[in-house]
Amino acid sequence: MGQLVKWIDARFPFTKFIKHELTDYPTPRNLSYWWNFGFLAGFVLMLQIISGLFLAMHYKADVALAFDSIEHIMREVNYGWLIRYLHSTGASAFFAVIYIHMARTLYYGSYRAPRELMWWTGQGLLLLLMATAFMGYLLPWGQMSYWGAQVITSLFGATPFIGEQVVIWLRGDFTVGDATLTRFFVLHYLFPFLIVGAVIIHLVALHFVKSSNPSGINLADKDNIPFHPYFTIKDLYGLGIFLIIFCYFVFFQPGTFIEAANNIPANPMQTPEHIVPEWYFLPFYAILRSIPDLLGGVVGMLLSVLIFAAMPYLDRSGIPGGARNRPWYRVMFYVFVIDVLVLGYVGAQASSDLMLNIGRVATLIYFLTFCLLPFISRKEEQWLRKQGLPVEIEELLRYESQQQQKKDDV
Amino acid sequence: MSDDVIKSEPEDCGRRKFLEKATGAVAGAGIAAASWPFISSMNPSTDILARAESQVELDGIASGEMRTVEWQGKPVFILRRTEDQIVKMSDSNGSSKDPEPDEQRVQKSEWLVVVGLCTHLGCVPNRNADGWFCPCHGSVYDNSGRILKGPAPRNLDLPPYEFIAENKILIRKA
Amino acid sequence: MNRHNFRIILHCCLLLIVFTAAVKSEAAGIEFDRSTYSLKRGAVTFQNLCMLCHEMKYLRYQNLLELGFSQKQLETFRKGKNIQETMQSSIAPEVAKLLFGIQPPDLSLMAKARKNGPSYIYNLLTGYHETAGGVIRNQILPDTSMPDVLAYSIETDVQAREQLEKTAREVAVFMEWAADPKADQRRRMGYWVIAYLVFLTFLLYLIKRRVWRRLR
Repeated sequence: MGQLVKWIDARFPFTKFIKHELTDYPTPRNLSYWWNFGFLAGFVLMLQIISGLFLAMHYKADVALAFDSIEHIMREVNYGWLIRYLHSTGASAFFAVIYIHMARTLYYGSYRAPRELMWWTGQGLLLLLMATAFMGYLLPWGQMSYWGAQVITSLFGATPFIGEQVVIWLRGDFTVGDATLTRFFVLHYLFPFLIVGAVIIHLVALHFVKSSNPSGINLADKDNIPFHPYFTIKDLYGLGIFLIIFCYFVFFQPGTFIEAANNIPANPMQTPEHIVPEWYFLPFYAILRSIPDLLGGVVGMLLSVLIFAAMPYLDRSGIPGGARNRPWYRVMFYVFVIDVLVLGYVGAQASSDLMLNIGRVATLIYFLTFCLLPFISRKEEQWLRKQGLPVEIEELLRYESQQQQKKDDV
Repeated sequence: MSDDVIKSEPEDCGRRKFLEKATGAVAGAGIAAASWPFISSMNPSTDILARAESQVELDGIASGEMRTVEWQGKPVFILRRTEDQIVKMSDSNGSSKDPEPDEQRVQKSEWLVVVGLCTHLGCVPNRNADGWFCPCHGSVYDNSGRILKGPAPRNLDLPPYEFIAENKILIRKA
Repeated sequence: MNRHNFRIILHCCLLLIVFTAAVKSEAAGIEFDRSTYSLKRGAVTFQNLCMLCHEMKYLRYQNLLELGFSQKQLETFRKGKNIQETMQSSIAPEVAKLLFGIQPPDLSLMAKARKNGPSYIYNLLTGYHETAGGVIRNQILPDTSMPDVLAYSIETDVQAREQLEKTAREVAVFMEWAADPKADQRRRMGYWVIAYLVFLTFLLYLIKRRVWRRLR
């Protein structure tokens, strides 16, 4: 075995790569469990690709056959039910992990320089994931699949001037139909591999700037420890905990993430009483519905996803790190999280006056948190400096400016 | 990087090694067990397995007549042999390539049941008076399905079947 | 026990409580008998009564063997049809459409297509009552064309009504099974998988602690 590795190493930087990027890779020793979620996201991606692959061996992307093929998988393919539930639960798990991963990044200010590109590749990954999930949801061709796709593709009609043509072009038909299903299947199969590519870029960026850490500043090299065995085992342990929760849902409550109405074959002539997107789209759906104008609603919804990209520039505080050292930012963070939860709840409810008003207030708060951040962050820094920064922060700032000096001298 | 990592190994290194080995074994077993459903899902599904058996009524096949039926998606030749054919076939063992007495190839000498795929490369041979001729590469089979001439290596395969009634056979799963 | 471990255990307990609550809340409501005996009785009622008009296109007769029926018993069910065939209704769809104005829906997935499926089915079957005007209406689906198949609305004898309610429950659990025949196998596998994962995670935790101790 050793001989084989030596032979490869003479021709390919195999051991060198593994050592540099994995085993000896310097990682801040103070990373908490909130840093496990990137690895978990990678794991769920692999799980979805594998389970999706094996589902695709039996699935039929044809409006006459799709629903039946899912039942065939559930009832007649060996362990088909298991692979199907892994995939449907995995989609929800993916978003849960990603949202927590994003929350960690926002809380600890990991989006700040020099990690802006990581944040933006992450943004791109989120969009790819949302597109993949949306297209995947059409494939079972249930009532919710069909009508969800019908509603969301209709949104593209808001495009000025060419709206109607865009919608027809997207669908390949005047309504969501066989043409739509076929292309959504193809694209749903493709996108995860685009995601893999984007993940690689995301990781290349990470390995260049190295992980952030709970303190919020770039630590000295002396505070780094090798990734292996410390974080390999920590990631595996975290994976174990994740799998317990995940498998609980797969084996005991798989229906949690499958709308009852999706057990009815799609009927283009009849809309279900209550169209609800999957939980991970609910906050954005609520924002869409709270703006009365069609184009306005679509723009608002898009903005609500894209505005995260502006974070490195909206945050104008010089205080290192994130919520840990900044009490006002911490409050904004929690307000934002609660607001997103409220929006999620509103998104699931039928459109009543009360819900609409709550949704509108929540949407306002959502965008205000971003818009006010530049002012609040600057004011907060002034306030903190006047108060006198805690000793540790002073030290960190002094240390960081020293590092910066050293870099400038070089 | 941090200096404390290069601390000396703890004394209970043996115990740690055991723990690591045990965990590795448990994890490995789990991964193997987890792969099984995926591999198994590629096997024929239950509906296909149920169709893996074919029941065939033998009524209506005249003496000397051959009928082709489907079994697991493959053709199966059912030949009702005349007295003459039975005698001729039991006289010989086929050819030296795959010698086999006729009695071993039939359950009731009147009925020959063979898989209708040439054992060379799988073409369906054509029926003639003396047996079958494969148009793809010229293999010749007799009325017992035995290879006489040509590139085919074996006699026509015998599917697993049994008589479930006087005039009914069941061709089973392999 | 240090603070860290305490938090882990606290979180695990909280999770456990949440999960049990979730599971329990599902079971609340009508007392369904999910024994094989009850399922088989439900299957028989379904065959003799419901399948006059409804079909289950995703269930094959051969699947009923999983409930414990013998080949001989299946023969009476399928009335000459191949055992591989799916369970079709006795009435032709066009005739049903003529009689009821709508084709009776396929029932393979009905128990999953409605929230609290089995309860919904039970309430539907026992939801027939006579209104003031003498018309028989269903509480769950007021506009339905489906007749009172159990003749529940006209039954006055208490014991007989209880018998009909029992039949309704049996049909409901049979339909629950038919919507998800793998449910039992799934849960049984789940116990093993979770137990295995708890064990493996525990081992991983031990290694993690041992490895990180080196940093002290």
